[in-house]
Amino acid sequence: MCYNPALLNGSVRITTVEDLNSIRDSVQARELGSARGSREQVLLCAGGGCIASGESLVKKALIDTLRKYRLGKRIAVVETGCLGPCAGGPVMIVGSDNTFYQKLTPAAASEIVEKHLAGGTIIDKYTYRQGPDSKSVPSAADIEFFRKQTRIVLRNCGRIDPNSIEDYIGNDGYQAMAKALCFMTPDEVIDQMKRSGLRGRGGAGFPTGQKWEYASRSPGPVKYILCNADEGDPGAYMDRSVLEGDPHSIIEGMIIGAFAIGAEQGYVYVRAEYPLAVIRLQNAIESARGAGILGKNILQSGFSFDLEIRMGSGAFVCGEETALMASIEGRRGEPRPRPPFPAQQGLWNKPTVLNNVETFANVPVIILNGSDEFAKTGTAKSKGTKVFALAGAINQTGLVEVPVGISLADVVYEIGGGIPRGKSFKAAQLGGPSGGCIPLNHINVPLDYDSLIELGAIMGSGGLIVMDEDTCMVDVARFFLDFVQDESCGKCSPCREGTRRMLQILERISNGHGREGDVELLIAIGKHIKSTALCGLGQTAPNPVLSTIRYFRHEYDAHIRGHQCPAGVCKGLTRAPCQSACPAHVDIPGYISLIGEKRYKEALNLHRERNPFASVCARVCFHTCENRCRRSSIDQPVAIRSLKRFLIEQEKAPVVPVVKSNDTNAERKIAIIGAGPAGLTCAYFLARLGYNPRIFEAAQKPGGMLIQAIPAYRLPRNILAREVKMIMDLGVKIEYGRNFGRDISLESLKDEGYDAICIAAGTPSGITPSISGVGSHGVVEALDFLRQFNMTGKAEIGKKVVVVGGGNAAIDAARTALRLGARVSIVYRRTREEMPAYAEEIQEAEREGVRIITLVNPVEVITANGSVKGLRCEKMRPGAFDSSGRRSPFGSGETIFLRTDKVIFALGQRLDTKTIFPGLSPETEQSQRIIADPVNGRTSIPWIFAAGDAVSGPSSVVEAIGAGERAAVGIDAFFTGESHAFWRTEHENITYFDPDADPSDSRRANVKLLRPVERKAGFIEVELSWSEKVAIAQAQRCMRCDYGKASSTG
Amino acid sequence: MKDPKSRRNKTACGTCSRKSESIREAEYINNRIAHCRGKSGNLISVLQDTQRQFGYISESAIRHISKGLDEPVGKVFGVTTFYSFFSRTPRGKYLIRICMGTACYVRGAQKILDAIRKELRIDMGQTTPDALFTLDVARCFGACGLAPAIMINETIYQRLKPSQVRRILAEYRPKETEHVL
Repeated sequence: MCYNPALLNGSVRITTVEDLNSIRDSVQARELGSARGSREQVLLCAGGGCIASGESLVKKALIDTLRKYRLGKRIAVVETGCLGPCAGGPVMIVGSDNTFYQKLTPAAASEIVEKHLAGGTIIDKYTYRQGPDSKSVPSAADIEFFRKQTRIVLRNCGRIDPNSIEDYIGNDGYQAMAKALCFMTPDEVIDQMKRSGLRGRGGAGFPTGQKWEYASRSPGPVKYILCNADEGDPGAYMDRSVLEGDPHSIIEGMIIGAFAIGAEQGYVYVRAEYPLAVIRLQNAIESARGAGILGKNILQSGFSFDLEIRMGSGAFVCGEETALMASIEGRRGEPRPRPPFPAQQGLWNKPTVLNNVETFANVPVIILNGSDEFAKTGTAKSKGTKVFALAGAINQTGLVEVPVGISLADVVYEIGGGIPRGKSFKAAQLGGPSGGCIPLNHINVPLDYDSLIELGAIMGSGGLIVMDEDTCMVDVARFFLDFVQDESCGKCSPCREGTRRMLQILERISNGHGREGDVELLIAIGKHIKSTALCGLGQTAPNPVLSTIRYFRHEYDAHIRGHQCPAGVCKGLTRAPCQSACPAHVDIPGYISLIGEKRYKEALNLHRERNPFASVCARVCFHTCENRCRRSSIDQPVAIRSLKRFLIEQEKAPVVPVVKSNDTNAERKIAIIGAGPAGLTCAYFLARLGYNPRIFEAAQKPGGMLIQAIPAYRLPRNILAREVKMIMDLGVKIEYGRNFGRDISLESLKDEGYDAICIAAGTPSGITPSISGVGSHGVVEALDFLRQFNMTGKAEIGKKVVVVGGGNAAIDAARTALRLGARVSIVYRRTREEMPAYAEEIQEAEREGVRIITLVNPVEVITANGSVKGLRCEKMRPGAFDSSGRRSPFGSGETIFLRTDKVIFALGQRLDTKTIFPGLSPETEQSQRIIADPVNGRTSIPWIFAAGDAVSGPSSVVEAIGAGERAAVGIDAFFTGESHAFWRTEHENITYFDPDADPSDSRRANVKLLRPVERKAGFIEVELSWSEKVAIAQAQRCMRCDYGKASSTG
Repeated sequence: MKDPKSRRNKTACGTCSRKSESIREAEYINNRIAHCRGKSGNLISVLQDTQRQFGYISESAIRHISKGLDEPVGKVFGVTTFYSFFSRTPRGKYLIRICMGTACYVRGAQKILDAIRKELRIDMGQTTPDALFTLDVARCFGACGLAPAIMINETIYQRLKPSQVRRILAEYRPKETEHVL
């Protein structure tokens, strides 16, 4: 790539600005030639990521094949620095239209030369994919990942050969140096830097110009300029990419800085983990020195400067400035107190400026284009761009450069392409061990120094790790503390001892031995360390812990008080991830493996140990267990719910669970409000402990939402009745038609002598919007509609029905209306992907003929003579991300009219606590939810407990079941002072399993469904059961995460 | 220090070879010291070269460097023990470093580590009895896009799954011992 070989071996020296310009012009002339087609380039990424993915073999294949097609002279293979999309490596850009190819192999490279470079046809299979339909996007210019970036620091990365000083000069390299050295004074340089508003990119964000000014004012003939390339934050590799991809930009930035402060010697401190960066930088220094750009009297300006590399030796603390200087001096890399600040007394006690790699890479741009131009990018208080290393649970991992102040949501969703495998965003961790996390409800935060500090995170050096629902935040905190504990230099005791104590506490929490008060203790120790540690490492070490406590306190509580790791990560608390994910903590691997051995009765027994509603959940459970299934790392999750569905079919006689009769308990009077899943479950577990609870139910039938809202085609009524009967057979009594708040109250029950009450009243009231026309005939709320039909078998329905909403109630109402003979449309204000209803339900509704119109919002119900004639809706557009991580829709002003004679609103449900608690009332949240302890259901009144939707708001059946069980254990503990929940003790599963065998290779089988034409006739169940043969094969797909684990605290 | 067994092997392998090694070591160190004489702060550079050349920094090397650079033994020892790249015991032929950086960690580095531990039957910081492998943890080598990753000497293995560990390690094992293991 070097057309002036004399330049590199040092025989040509650049001694004047004219020399520099003439080289630049000759390189640009050649590039112009290549643009006209006389010479082409293949830009092959030789960043660390792509090299690790086999770039060198790809390069060889490219060159060989080019030679074979006699293209070797016309097309040059240029190895560039990091292009950015590291996950797709090795990657390259070819041709005049900048076609981007990824995931290259030697064979792919040869094929591309053959068909594209020689033949002119773009090969789709190696191009970039984006969007929900993963469309092929050949041209780099059209790829969102590149389009949304502003590349200042990475201006040359991926465009030039980092080993060629000519390439750099040809792209205006060293022009800023020439301008500074020959046409500016040091004060003018400092002034430009100050006016640019550039803040240090190492993490703390100190204004660079100010730092330079302090050092320049410090007296003394000897000064130093240092570049901190000890990029130690785990998850950050921006500096490495700049060093590898554009090393001359660092040299140029340092020369300008040295000139400004009056230093003649500089050092770059590179960590030893980056051997390639050291080689490329060394190479660049040598060619700059050879050309006269480093050395005596640069460009005859009278200014002399030279540069040396110092390598780290694996100590994270050396990223701290005073420790780094100690290390360059050849000592133990321990920090020292400041003041004196390095600008007064730094390396060898001389005035010293230390800046980070990314900061120096910005300098030439500021000097060359002027500070005003630079300050156009960014926010009022933070100028320019920031490079982030996107990693973790994100589709497009890699390096991105964005204007400071862009929102986190834009980086995650627009550039990073969102979260893989349909999982949801949980938090982003910024700033590594010194930083903190940003949870979902702050996903719109602008990425600038001050906004992030407000949220307890920091900009940091630029590591941005995305975490999804599979991440345990306690574990993350433990991970970072383990890191800083290990890397603490040991000089000051707050850091040495304090982080050790914090780590011990976190370890006991994640092992299941957390104690009450541990979180408060962590906060107290953390605050002490922050205010007393010697250096930045120690002062920021508690941040990851404090930040996770701030946003994920409930996870700490679940670990300490509930003995659960909800994400299924912490080893001491996790038997199998599916079981951790199940709100009822059913021993899933246990019953799945029993199905595999045809031991159906035992399997069902095991299920009902923790969840009485096996057959209900076999039909309507939203199966979080499957979302966590480890089998999905091989192919797809085990079909847990469908296996349960098969299991239920094998139940011949009702299985009776273990009951421990207890005369004292039998005497206690316990009232349960509501015979829904939470209330019935609470009663079931109380009965198994020998209590005789009494349920008060407002309706005439048991089941709550299971019977009132869920249609029979999803949950046949005889199935439900069978499980309710099983519970009643344990001695549970139900009084029907007893309306809480009207017929009975907390006071009246107390007067009747009840010792404890569990409120499981659900959220029985639907919500209707306040738009004009909602009061007219033909407008109905979804829950009222479903309840009326499900309880009476009759409901008034029109010919054309519009259902408003995107949740499960909307789908249930739509499919019910369809079965009653109407033509049905659903309107929803967001996009189809954002509908909260279960995906399979939406899909089946469409297959049955329900029309779904998204991005429309009703504004008026049109009526004539008091009856509905239509619905006017406004078209919506997706706007900024809201706190749920979804795009908040906004009105476009354009309206559409839907002709209809029935409008069903399915906009949510709530509990009106004012009506149910006319007098005595436990604490509530905005009179809509009862506040109860998630571990034991206790409310603010000691003898009153609560569970289910009344506490959580509308949620799933299995959540209600889990809460019912916890309330039962809480009530028992209220009476006896201890836990007798014998069903929580787990046993090792004694089914056969060979841990060394390869996992079964059968794929996940599809659910068997009734054909849509057969469904509409009535309310027969849509989903069918598998045959035994299919079920056994499916059960054997389980990878038995529980193997060898006898029990976990349940 | 953490693997006394392999050290014992080293000292037990004949006086002759030991002698020649210490002479080689002294010559090498003298050479490096001469190379960077006059440069300030050269202690770490000499230690880095010595580590690279011999795989560890022996007690005699520490004394030799102390003499050559005219620095107290205590200082040389202190610097050697401070930085994690300097090993006081011989390392295996292949240094396996498992990245425990954040990106690798959230993508399952722990499971990779468990698999390697199980396969080699050694713990973190230890060397296999045949002196083939040393197992160590690394703090992010910037391959976050390829997480989880490990490095064996200079080669990076990326997007690893625990099931691949056995096959990768087998590539480094001499063919004949493979049957024995």
